[in-house]
Amino acid sequence: MANFKISYREDTALFQNLWVKSWLGIFIAAMIVLPFLLSRYQLSILNGMGIAVIGALGLNLLIGYTGQISLGHGAFVAIGAYTTGLLAGTLGVPFIVALPVSGTTAALLSLIVGVPSLRLKGLYLALGTLAFGFIIEYVLFHWDLTRGDTGMAVPKIGAGGFFIETELQFFYLIMFFAALATLVAKNLARTKIGRSFVAIRDRDIAAEAMGISLSKYKIMAFAVSAFYAGVAGCLLAYYQKWIVPGNFDISLSIAYIAMIVLGGMGTILGSILGAILITGIPYGIVYLTDALRGTYPNLSGLIVDLKLGIFGLVIVLTLLFEPQGLVGIYRRIKVYWKTWPFKY
Amino acid sequence: MRSKLWGWSVLLAVVLFLSVNSAWAATVRGVTDKEIKLACLVDLSGPGKYGGPPIADAFRDYVAWVNDTGGINGRKINLVVEDNGILPTTTMNAAKKVILKDEVLAIAFNLGSAGSSAIVPLCAENKVVLMPHGANKVFYHPGNKWVFVPHTVQFSMASRAVEYVLGKNAKARIGVIYQDDDFGREGLEGASAAAAFLKTKLVAQAPYKTGTIDFTPHMNAMKEANVDTIMLWTYLPQSAAIIKQKVKMGWDVQLISNNTTGVPPLFALTGEAADGYMFVTPYAPVNTDLPGIKRIKEINKKYGNAAKTLENPAYPDYLYLAGWGYIEAMAQGLRKAGKDLNPETLVKGLESVRNFDMGGLCPNITFGPKQHVSSFSSLILKADGKTKRFVIVDSIKAPKTPQE
Repeated sequence: MANFKISYREDTALFQNLWVKSWLGIFIAAMIVLPFLLSRYQLSILNGMGIAVIGALGLNLLIGYTGQISLGHGAFVAIGAYTTGLLAGTLGVPFIVALPVSGTTAALLSLIVGVPSLRLKGLYLALGTLAFGFIIEYVLFHWDLTRGDTGMAVPKIGAGGFFIETELQFFYLIMFFAALATLVAKNLARTKIGRSFVAIRDRDIAAEAMGISLSKYKIMAFAVSAFYAGVAGCLLAYYQKWIVPGNFDISLSIAYIAMIVLGGMGTILGSILGAILITGIPYGIVYLTDALRGTYPNLSGLIVDLKLGIFGLVIVLTLLFEPQGLVGIYRRIKVYWKTWPFKY
Repeated sequence: MRSKLWGWSVLLAVVLFLSVNSAWAATVRGVTDKEIKLACLVDLSGPGKYGGPPIADAFRDYVAWVNDTGGINGRKINLVVEDNGILPTTTMNAAKKVILKDEVLAIAFNLGSAGSSAIVPLCAENKVVLMPHGANKVFYHPGNKWVFVPHTVQFSMASRAVEYVLGKNAKARIGVIYQDDDFGREGLEGASAAAAFLKTKLVAQAPYKTGTIDFTPHMNAMKEANVDTIMLWTYLPQSAAIIKQKVKMGWDVQLISNNTTGVPPLFALTGEAADGYMFVTPYAPVNTDLPGIKRIKEINKKYGNAAKTLENPAYPDYLYLAGWGYIEAMAQGLRKAGKDLNPETLVKGLESVRNFDMGGLCPNITFGPKQHVSSFSSLILKADGKTKRFVIVDSIKAPKTPQE
């Protein structure tokens, strides 16, 4: 099948050829049927992955596309979750309102780190965002309204007697928003905004010389990223039904960074693959431990001891052998099949 | 053609959905004619790793003994010990695993307040009885149908500490150093409530951030307030640091703390300086010959590894006892639930446990439809720096301060 592109429009098209459209159709069909074949536990894993995908997409737009380092992404997820907790749990606001308000609140609060980012770069920006994360965590622990580490209850999503409460129902809800978030991010990357993000990442002085407003686009990158995080936080809050500050500590921010680094910086697909990998590793260890428990009881105990080590080892090995992340592997496989049976 | 395909797809989806649901509804999760599946979620990794193994030891020993002696109403217990990593996120993952994958009937232990709070909705949604080991009164007040606390909580122990001190000296000037989190604040609340009940006040309060080990300013504040007793709602490293600071200052002030600090490593950290250090705990020391303690020692010797556990002077035995109290309470609820065991009958079974005799190991266990905490009582122990042991100075009593 010929795959030539003769215009920029074709080159940046979302669904570039029939193959892509076919695979997408198969993927959607699989996502509709799959939940009926999986256990509730496996569905819960996919639900966690779906929420992580949304958060990782947001962070990749900021770090991967715009080159603005952030160690405070978990704080924006927390802001989204607690906005939902306060709106839905305390004021009884419905999901349809709580979701955009959670994202918007996170986006507005991102100005606290977005504005200083105009003067801060690299490690200094990293430290600034890290400090922001600690401040948010402190507030959540000490503000009476958020009830410290006792946490807050979040009601079910529903209206008129219908509630979204099972893993299956959450699966479709979360996957819908994950797909929407992916579509928006993919589109954003193709627009002037996305190209400006990339120009700033590649060389901010050159970008400014080309007429790109650094302040506008840097702040926009922070806001968009935080909006994604806020939406992820909102969904997480509704899904878990109870939020505690410990859910959103520095380890969450680090996990998100690991997702985009391992998945592939500056790529939408990388965010998705990274989110799946990082969220999936602990569950992979669970299955491995269970499989070995009967035959090698001591070995399975050792795996629990080495859990963090295994997690770190996977990350280090991926970075060593695949610095472009999982998306690099994907690209190689794609090229291999595209040129098959030829090597180049 | 297309509409036919849609029709078949919808039919297939409906059949799958119904088959999955009917299969689930036909059985009781975690219960068969021969087996009851229970979970114990403890820290086997992460910062709380120290606490997990002794609790798991107690569960394993108890289950081995019960299974060897006929099980519960003819059913053997299948115990699933899972690492909860103490953090809310890791606890949630562990709870999902045991509920959705292993399909246990109940979670007979979960270590950590925040993690327990996080998994309460999951447990309630899946009708899983949860027994959290945490600090918070919120687990039983206002309470939740599926949550039972077979443990005296920090609020009650702090009330007991203040009542004990004021009972010895009505004019005692009590200061409090507490960790600035829910654990510490609940201790402060319990102490304040007891002081108010006895128509007095705490004369000084000094919070500290988690991880603090320099207590010079806190102890100076206490000295300036001229306190004669300091209540510590701290963890072991902080208590050890405060004992050392007390020695450094040459200040003979009485210290009284909570059960988490009354462990053998206290002597390793502070030596003889620990002498006279008091703490409140629901659990009697293992070196006593109370009937409840003798019983667990015998079972531990037969079914566990006594040399590495209860006969090992460095072993954190209070955690073993805590685990024992939990599994004993759960087993009693299972017995009361009878042969027709399911989540609802388990709740009723637990709610019908009245004054179950623990032989002095800890307060007797009583639950009820409106009481999902087993007891408000605790003992006062004192450290003997020379023998490196803890001795009972005041037996099991409930505080007079209202607890709800």
